[in-house]
Amino acid sequence: MLGRVGAVARNTFREAVRNKVLYSLLVFAAAIIVSALALGQLSVHEDRRMIRDVGLFGVDVFGVLIAIFIGVNLLYKELALKTVYTILPKPIARWEFILGKWAGVMATLAVEVGVMGGVLAATLMVEGGREALDLALPKALWLLFMNVTIMTSVAVWFSSFSSPFLSGLFSLGIFVVGRSVPDLRQLAGRLGGPVGRILELCAAFLPNLQLFYPSGTSVDGRAVSVHASFVAGPYLASATAYALGYSALVLGLAMLIFQRRDFV
Amino acid sequence: MTSSVPMPAASASASVAAPSPGERLDPGAGPEAVIRAVDLAKTFRLGFWRKHVEAVRGMTFEVRRGEVFGFLGPNGAGKTTTLKMLMGLIFPTRGRAEVLGEPVPSARARRRLGYLPETPYFYEYLTPGEFLDFAGTLCDVPARTRKRRASELIARVGLAHAVGRPLRKFSKGMLQRIGIAQALMGDPELVVLDEPMTGLDPIGRKEIRDLILELRAQGKTVLFSTHILPDVEMTCDRVAIAVSGRLRSVGPLGALLSARLLATEVVLRAGVDGRLPAIPDGSRRLPAAGEGDLAVELPAGVDVDEFLRTALGLGARVVTVAPRRESLEDLFLREASQPEPASTTPRPGAGPGQDDRVEALREPRSAP
Repeated sequence: MLGRVGAVARNTFREAVRNKVLYSLLVFAAAIIVSALALGQLSVHEDRRMIRDVGLFGVDVFGVLIAIFIGVNLLYKELALKTVYTILPKPIARWEFILGKWAGVMATLAVEVGVMGGVLAATLMVEGGREALDLALPKALWLLFMNVTIMTSVAVWFSSFSSPFLSGLFSLGIFVVGRSVPDLRQLAGRLGGPVGRILELCAAFLPNLQLFYPSGTSVDGRAVSVHASFVAGPYLASATAYALGYSALVLGLAMLIFQRRDFV
Repeated sequence: MTSSVPMPAASASASVAAPSPGERLDPGAGPEAVIRAVDLAKTFRLGFWRKHVEAVRGMTFEVRRGEVFGFLGPNGAGKTTTLKMLMGLIFPTRGRAEVLGEPVPSARARRRLGYLPETPYFYEYLTPGEFLDFAGTLCDVPARTRKRRASELIARVGLAHAVGRPLRKFSKGMLQRIGIAQALMGDPELVVLDEPMTGLDPIGRKEIRDLILELRAQGKTVLFSTHILPDVEMTCDRVAIAVSGRLRSVGPLGALLSARLLATEVVLRAGVDGRLPAIPDGSRRLPAAGEGDLAVELPAGVDVDEFLRTALGLGARVVTVAPRRESLEDLFLREASQPEPASTTPRPGAGPGQDDRVEALREPRSAP
């Protein structure tokens, strides 16, 4: 089983590595992160803060865009190009195929987030030397990687029954609303009644993506900032468990849908 | 294309349950069936109004171990849909199918079969070696065997010159060849090829025909769909003809084709005085190759001996006399043009030669 899933994952990774569109997105993201150096010069004694904020924003947005871009095309391309007709008659289960594709995308995204994080670290070092680096940066990058893990799974789920355009649109919507889940819960509590209950239901099913961008929020009554006191190990562990659990659930749904599909 | 295709490690015998009465279409097929389809049907629901389109309307047939089975039919006959149902790509709306003794879909059966889809598309960024290695991994072939088998198959299908080229730079014929190679990567007992001759030039078609015969010589079973009839005549032990989602005929080619004389083609050359006999009633004049020649097709009822005696008496020379019996093309065109029968099973006496055909199916089949 691992051999077959690994083969599909390797092939998916190889496809992404040989896709020039991703390189352009990556270069664009790197350019935005490096441009934070110039923005830092415009601020008053806040160069490092500016670079971190703009840099992490770049990693976040481009990470999610790349995740959605690859995720929504993942199954669609296999069906549109009919490559799936050659693969599925081999002794590979359909769920193994989905898992392999997902693992391949995750490997690609790990490299992407790693490269963008590396560019951000290098930019910070150019501005402030080794002192500009601390543990908050890898922690924040890990959380952003967990964020794209969920977004990839959501995009794959949508792509198991919808077109890439609609899947991309839905996924982007989930990302935007998912970042405001705590606000949605608050609003639901304030409104009450049937509307409040609907909002509560939405908040229960949507992924709480604010968990992965906690800077500027309060965790256990303590203010969290990527510039000062960032989240600790237990928070990272629970956020990781949440991301993997949610992804498993959504991927399971995608597998169920894929299992019942006719490949005409 | 000189090296041989690898043999299967072991050929497991298929355990096939006895069909219930009335299910068996092809009485010639024995218990060694590697594919058994019983009343297989597929209805698609298409468009906004979910209109029902019956692509396959109850096909029953068997493919025996070690034979080359040709699945014929005009476009839209349901050949590809049937093969996809056998491969587990499409779920039937009615009926059932077993492949290598396992109900479809079965990963265990898929481990022992190779499949080439119609007009195959592959990962265009891969080289032939990478693609075959990928296919081999999916078939659980060990790494060392994969490498050796991939090289053998690349040479076997005549792609050794393109080994470093990505598949996006392959021609249609080259893609067809690599598609056949990937179907053989798992060293399958059963090879299912959907239109394998498509896109190939005459040399490529001959090479694939040779490959199919070589696979049969190795004891493998080959099922392929096509509408290129000469390929079927040259390779197949048995054929099935599908029209509009139903099977019209199944059986050995020799048994399906009527043995009776259809017509006799005669070519005469005029003597010194240029005299030639009159063309008998019901005969058809054919285009003649030489000046002063008469080419004529005499229907079965005409006395050919009498016609030739008359010609010789007039001083003409007999160039050729060729009796014409039913060809696969005749059978194919006849089946394709016949109106749909009410039943899904060919009935004795349902059409010309049908009695002979069904009777012939009951004859024991010799080993390939």
